[in-house]
Amino acid sequence: MVPTNTKNFDTLVVGGGIAGLQTALDLGDQGYSVAVVEKDASIGGKMIRLSKVFPTLDCASCITTPKMSAVAHHENITLFTYCTLNSLDHDNSGEDSGNKFPGINAPGVKATGLKALITQNPRYVDPIKCIGCRQCEYVCPVHVPDMEQGGLSATKVICIPFSNAIPQLPMMDIENCMLCGQCEKACPTNAIDYFQKPERFIITAKTAVITTGFDLLPVRDNVQYGNAKIPNVIDSLQMERLLAPHGPYNRVLRPSDGMEPDSIAYVQCAGSRDKSTGVSYCSRVCCMYAIKQAMLLSGSLPLADIIIYYMDIRAFGKGYEQFYQNAKAMGIEFIKAKVARIDEGENGQAQVRYELQDGSGIATADHDLVILSMGMIPAWNPGAICPVSKDSDKFITSIKPKISPVLTDMEGVFVAGAAAGPKDIVDTITESGCAAMEAAKFMSKRLVEN
Amino acid sequence: MSEMSSDKTTKTDRVGVYICYCGGNISDHVDVEAVRNRVEKMPGVAVARTEMFMCSDPGQEMIIEDLKSGKIDRVVVASCAPSLHETTFRDAIKRAGSNPFIYEHANIREQVSWVHHGDTATNKATVLIASATAKAKRLKPLDPIRVEAKKHTTIIGGGVAGIKTALDIAQTGIEVTLIEKSGILGGQLNHLDRLAPSGEKASDILQEFLDQIVNYKNITIHTNCIIENVTGYVGNFRLDVVTKSDNKKFNIDTGAIVMATGSVSYTPYDGEYGFGRHEQVIVLKDLIHILKENKSSGSVLEVNGKPIKNMVMIHCVGSRQIPGIHKPKENGKLNEYCSRTCCAAMLNASNQIRENFPGTGIYEMYRDIRTYGRGQEALYTQASKNKVVFMRYEADALPEITPSPLPDYPLQVKIKDSLTFNEEMDVPVDLVVLATGIEPDDVSGLASMMKLPIGTDQFLLEVHPKLRPVEFPITGVFLAGTCQAPMDAGEACNAAGAAAVKASALLRKGYIELDPFVAQVDIDKCQGHGACVEACLKEGALELIETTIEGKIHKKARVTAALCLGCGACAAVCPEKAIDINGWALKQYEDMVDAIVSDGFAV
Amino acid sequence: MMSPQAKRQENKILILATETCAYPGADSVGQTHSSYPANTYILRVRAPVLFPESFYIDCFKKGISGIIVMSCGEECPYEGAYKAMAKRLDSVYKKMKAMKLDLKRLRLTAICTVCNRAFLNEVKQMDQLVQELGPPQLMA
Repeated sequence: MVPTNTKNFDTLVVGGGIAGLQTALDLGDQGYSVAVVEKDASIGGKMIRLSKVFPTLDCASCITTPKMSAVAHHENITLFTYCTLNSLDHDNSGEDSGNKFPGINAPGVKATGLKALITQNPRYVDPIKCIGCRQCEYVCPVHVPDMEQGGLSATKVICIPFSNAIPQLPMMDIENCMLCGQCEKACPTNAIDYFQKPERFIITAKTAVITTGFDLLPVRDNVQYGNAKIPNVIDSLQMERLLAPHGPYNRVLRPSDGMEPDSIAYVQCAGSRDKSTGVSYCSRVCCMYAIKQAMLLSGSLPLADIIIYYMDIRAFGKGYEQFYQNAKAMGIEFIKAKVARIDEGENGQAQVRYELQDGSGIATADHDLVILSMGMIPAWNPGAICPVSKDSDKFITSIKPKISPVLTDMEGVFVAGAAAGPKDIVDTITESGCAAMEAAKFMSKRLVEN
Repeated sequence: MSEMSSDKTTKTDRVGVYICYCGGNISDHVDVEAVRNRVEKMPGVAVARTEMFMCSDPGQEMIIEDLKSGKIDRVVVASCAPSLHETTFRDAIKRAGSNPFIYEHANIREQVSWVHHGDTATNKATVLIASATAKAKRLKPLDPIRVEAKKHTTIIGGGVAGIKTALDIAQTGIEVTLIEKSGILGGQLNHLDRLAPSGEKASDILQEFLDQIVNYKNITIHTNCIIENVTGYVGNFRLDVVTKSDNKKFNIDTGAIVMATGSVSYTPYDGEYGFGRHEQVIVLKDLIHILKENKSSGSVLEVNGKPIKNMVMIHCVGSRQIPGIHKPKENGKLNEYCSRTCCAAMLNASNQIRENFPGTGIYEMYRDIRTYGRGQEALYTQASKNKVVFMRYEADALPEITPSPLPDYPLQVKIKDSLTFNEEMDVPVDLVVLATGIEPDDVSGLASMMKLPIGTDQFLLEVHPKLRPVEFPITGVFLAGTCQAPMDAGEACNAAGAAAVKASALLRKGYIELDPFVAQVDIDKCQGHGACVEACLKEGALELIETTIEGKIHKKARVTAALCLGCGACAAVCPEKAIDINGWALKQYEDMVDAIVSDGFAV
Repeated sequence: MMSPQAKRQENKILILATETCAYPGADSVGQTHSSYPANTYILRVRAPVLFPESFYIDCFKKGISGIIVMSCGEECPYEGAYKAMAKRLDSVYKKMKAMKLDLKRLRLTAICTVCNRAFLNEVKQMDQLVQELGPPQLMA
């Protein structure tokens, strides 16, 4: 079916994480109309799911929610959440784009705008009728693991994904729904729609900014660290949830038995800087977030021993080195060693086997909780969707990394944040501003030339 | 605005109160009709209505209808949290042709029905609505504050960050003046050769920028210029500039300022790792210069005509300094930060040497290798492949440089290598290269003139690294590049783009609209004590001026709305209560408390 | 208008909650449906530095039993406002002392947008206190 529903914007932002939000705000504030397309049911990306953020130790929610809310209420920004980007390419069809790009497509000038095909995935909830009251969620009898909490606690089959989600719309996990109809009965506005279908539509835009972010390397693929089968070995994003003020247990507990951990270890470069176990590059943020988590832990569990196994501590940003030195002064132990493997130990412990970097050999240690600082990989593969190039590291290629790292090899298409390589929040936000600037420049240049 | 009244004490008695059921979310716990009956009787309330979903079209229409018919002139909606629908209802009021600031919200879902139950919930909802009504009665129509702004930006500093900011802003149609204190543009790029990690030539990058900027019609460049003074505020700054050569003075009127004042290399103190004592101890910048000029094609690198058989590269010189270990500078300061760019630059130089001069052996002495950036880790891997020897020292056991006992080598470096059992080793060398870190260029004069904050690391300090990373607390002043923190060229260009986007958004209309929630002085009441001026947190926002009233000179406080933060620090200290915050007045809070203590009776 | 719980209602707690941090924090408590005493009245403020010493004292005179200032703490968006306000509270405490008011009736705390537990704790503690102390015995 060819969609006939077309929406026109100046810029299409692909991804509603912190990079996408900042890009959208910086373009919207300049008067450009922006569409933000997000695959998840809420905007906010990885950042809204974090606990506190280095080096200021601000609460991540408190920094992200104002930007999310500013985007949601911005007169020039339109949000499309829970959407899939099916294709994004230059629109050279000519005839039907003549009127879509006023100012760009003057008579005789070839149309070079962008065209994206999008699918709105069904939430099984009518977004117009829904008032976000959560009655559906309260009455739903089916519990499923809450992936928003790293799978560490349960949620309902129909629910608003997390408390400060935007939009405040629930979505139904139709795979696990038993169609009991209780939510439909409870809904005061008749917003439940079991028969909602995916809807396809077209977005045309003069420019696009790719802000698709990152994922962590999956622990389950890592043989050395036990393929995610060893209890109490978790990844760093799960640890963020344990530390978050509205986390799964409201405190830091060992997932297998709810014990308060006395000995906690961080395994750095878990799959980073090591082609054989993951990726060859440095994931850039793991040192700092491990230090940050360790500091938060030593606050909530003052008696626990916290050890960070590392190769090099990469505290390179503004205020980061000082943050690292503070962590050392707080008594967090840093051991320069490469962790070779992790095995299941006794009493729910995990046994870490590591190679000391001073050459003195192999040692082992047992810990109640082990956090793997897994490497960062791109969350989106342009593949057949978009002809933008990616580098050998699989992140989007930056064609002028020294002059403007946000330029891609596709005209009118820019990149920002972790989509262009691992990056912390500070660098991401700055880069997003630059991407917005380049997109604005591209559009104003076109106006001048034509 | 016909309803505009300068008298703050005027109270209206035509408040419309609209209470939402929220489809049971509120009405399951709050007896909405009982609340309506009570509210309707409150003095000043003209109408009180209920609706299943106040945010729905019928709900909004109800409000619009009442406003249009003149029944009401203030609106209170009691529903969910204001974060969800405050803007919805303000927009509805706008559609009715009224001023959106005649609106107040009562939060009876998140802060009542979802946390309290039964009669208590009903009572509390009533009191909160009474309190909101009390505030609404003193609301007045407000208009955004409009400040005329010159569509012109001044960039201070002509390095890569300054140039990129200038080009970006100029492209959006805003005029730009670039001021550089030296005779040439390009800043630190002038001192670099092949940039890590991918080896672009610094001179090519600079040329690409220069080609664009010198002929750009919107950009005026002043080199060899010093800024003597900066006055004014957002949209309307004035810079007094003087030329270094002939002391010619001129002014620049500008709407915004971007600080791109850059950085310098750390200079080792005399004797630091033998620097200044042994000619064979040089800094990284010197080595880069040598490699740039080097034409020799032998298998050994030659420096000053002497072959380098062995060389040592020492990392973190003037960076990551630790109190009690490193020697502070004359001002007592240490560079505790990491300089971010040196690891990749050192490895880049090492690889160049090892690949072109395989006869030159290299030892890199480091604390942590920080090849964090894209493509940088490959440099490190490549260096290992190139047989660069890595030795790791701890901060409390710094390498020592002494004359070598061996006849073939002038110097030796003593190191306790923590990669090999903390063994102490002497490395004989012909050359020692120090990776000197980045220090901000000293702009303390300019910073104190403009009231720009400087961090403990001596770099210029942004408002917040994540919320407002390229802004200063002084509205209209931005920062970009290495005046903020160590960065490489690409990162400085990102920061420049970010600063440019903020400056363009600010100035694009030729005027700036600010929130109307600023302090307002009641001229009749003001006695000119000046307590408010003293309490004011924003320099220049409040001042005492002399005015003549009926032939007598009086001192009166005056607010510069463009500078006022709207925090209310002034309102708290005025003995006459002659100054208050529009939209958030102290008097309104007093009325709200009265409404609360009387359970709604005292509205 | 008084309900059967009127006696409890006499012990009113005023909460001055900053619009950027503590007020959304209170909303977040609501979203989790956590119950807390209903004698709490939350006023949304831009910056508590607005309130003069007399405001606090007058509140006590009017019969408010306890006041919690829920600020953004050091993350205050108004540069310098937090310090100025904290200093002001010091002199309010002095006045309260002179009036023989229990100093615990006024509390300054920082609450962020998701500090649900901290919010509930503060409210609970102040409620316990005012239930013990009763309304301040001052007449305006």
